[in-house]
Amino acid sequence: MTDDDDPVVGDGEEDWFGDADPRVPSPTRAPDASGWPDGEGSLGFLGNDYEQVADQIAPNYVPNEIGESEAELAELGRRLEQQRSPAFPIDLRKKLPLEAVWRRWRSLAMWGRSDVVDDFGRDPRATARWEWLFEFLYTRWFRVHATGLENIPARGRALLVANHAGTLPYDSAMVMHAVRRDHPARRDVRPLVEDTVFHLPWLGPIMNRIGGVRADPANAERLLEKDELVAVFPEGEKGMGKLWKDRYRLQRFGRGGFVKLALRTRSPIIPVAVVGAEEAAPMLGKVTWFAKNIGIPWIPVTPTFPWLGPAGLLPLPSKWFVQFGAPIELGAGPESADDRLLVNRLADQIRTRIQEMIDGLLGQRRSPVLSAFLG
Amino acid sequence: MPSTSTPGRVVAVTGACTYLGGELLRRLEEDPRYSRVLALDVRAPAQTGGKVEFIKLDLTQPTIDGELATLLQQAKVDTFVHGAFLAHPTHAAEWAHELEDVGTMHVLNACAGIEPRRLVMVSTTLVYGAHPKNPNFLTEDAELRGHRDSRFVNDKVRAERQVQRFAKEHPNVGVCVLRFAPILGPTISNMYTRFFSRPVAPVMMGHDPLMQFVHEQDAAYALVKAVESNATGPFNIVGKGVLPYTTVLALLGRVPVPMPQIVARQLTKVLWATQLVGSPPSFLDFLLYLCVADGSRARSVLGFSARLSIKRTILDFLGVAPEDGATDIARASV
Repeated sequence: MTDDDDPVVGDGEEDWFGDADPRVPSPTRAPDASGWPDGEGSLGFLGNDYEQVADQIAPNYVPNEIGESEAELAELGRRLEQQRSPAFPIDLRKKLPLEAVWRRWRSLAMWGRSDVVDDFGRDPRATARWEWLFEFLYTRWFRVHATGLENIPARGRALLVANHAGTLPYDSAMVMHAVRRDHPARRDVRPLVEDTVFHLPWLGPIMNRIGGVRADPANAERLLEKDELVAVFPEGEKGMGKLWKDRYRLQRFGRGGFVKLALRTRSPIIPVAVVGAEEAAPMLGKVTWFAKNIGIPWIPVTPTFPWLGPAGLLPLPSKWFVQFGAPIELGAGPESADDRLLVNRLADQIRTRIQEMIDGLLGQRRSPVLSAFLG
Repeated sequence: MPSTSTPGRVVAVTGACTYLGGELLRRLEEDPRYSRVLALDVRAPAQTGGKVEFIKLDLTQPTIDGELATLLQQAKVDTFVHGAFLAHPTHAAEWAHELEDVGTMHVLNACAGIEPRRLVMVSTTLVYGAHPKNPNFLTEDAELRGHRDSRFVNDKVRAERQVQRFAKEHPNVGVCVLRFAPILGPTISNMYTRFFSRPVAPVMMGHDPLMQFVHEQDAAYALVKAVESNATGPFNIVGKGVLPYTTVLALLGRVPVPMPQIVARQLTKVLWATQLVGSPPSFLDFLLYLCVADGSRARSVLGFSARLSIKRTILDFLGVAPEDGATDIARASV
């Protein structure tokens, strides 16, 4: 310890934040030794720049009116604090080692993703990246025949209500793609995705990136307030878990949440009937044993699924019909959303309407089984 | 604005050595509307002298509330800013509990007697917790669920519940709670800056939640705004926009290490117990599920909206100018 009473640490001239305390002369190590510093006072990858940095952060750190040992302690604490913090000025950070490699890695990592997503996580670049797959499914695999697209408004909010089928939500993808591809306004539909699907590993994030939103009343309301098109599948999990023998029999429409939603946001409801999805993944049975352990409600048994492994999840190439019905104005305001009887009655009306549309489409098919695939 | 015309307000700030506390002191020092600022902390903040007066005060002391009450009484404190909260999870859980939960109790005990005109509390959006059932945007009236076994978050939740109860019992005090989204920036140090400073980061296999940050300057501005306004109630202070976690890592140039949940949890448990990482295993839930808040109430009532987008915030934290940040346009032209 020197006999210097002045506890001033560093006056801007000397590198007080070097490897050694400037008040203690250390002949063995020069504070500004070139090369990689290995002392405790430096952030390894920053090199010597960090010592200058410290001056810029706290040029004149004066622990006032405290004793020598306390001053040392305070300075030690401060050094630790600064070592821990990522605080270093911008112009010095550009001199990071391996800058070129790092920059290369960053641009590689950003491949196929955009640095701007919308509020709900839709990534335009990721959407474009998966576009070819939807286009292939839409035109070649399912040969979707979409009618009634003129019922979808070119602007403004609307709630698309559709039936649900199949082990994987191909139907929501096809409804989404139909509107984006064939509607004159090329509108984006935001499908609401059930929790079980939304939290599935890989599938959930991908669905989120291409526009899927977790089915939550708050989310749907927010989307409709922004005048978006929202697609909802009120049958939910029950619709996806329908067995082959119950095909095209609409299940209970949840608890009428979608009607409340439409009432609260004054959105028209557009009924949508999807025919063909049942044949794409005919569910012969479902196994609930062990399914809960891996976080899914059941393990589907289709003509292909467990037998062919993951390839069995590919849908069969059935012929699809998608019909968008005329918009239904509910004729009641947000105040009716709490009228349970009205909500239930409206939900049932819409359910009946969609069932009629499905039955109509089924009647158009020439034979029940063959035309399901040949179209 | 009636508050701005009141001459010579006295402000007391706990946690004066935190980033937000320091920024607040700096800005109040320059503002002629405030006559005196009491900086309360266990050590002296960088900004002292002038109007700022450092008073050593340890909120973990059992009888500190009496002392604090006398102090507030003598100084005629008009606005009390309670920001003595930890930015890093700590292994000293007992001490953290004494500081955050019991310390808040002391502060409220002191405030109950003298009833300052305003009480501003610094909180975080982590108090909502990351849950699979969270909507995409949590509003201020969402339940504070915290986290099942994170003491770091739960102490803050308890502190906030106390403040909420205090606000109900003392309608004369304008209580304002600011819930900051994770703060990033070139100078601040907290759990998230430490997490993102590492070259590698764990990714929960197959999960990619949206994340939200607020820039440190925006956060400091929001705090000043809350001190000078008359708005009461909770406010989410959030940045502009959201980004998926893996995109954040890609922008930062960090190497994502995908791992199954069970592996990640065991590994983090070991690394946390050996003090090799600064975030406890419970933090992994924030890499699994959404915890994004809606800042529209702050915009309409408090008059605060963030200036910097999430991308600018991340790049500023990283220390790259936006033109270096490999923008979409730049990449498209390559």
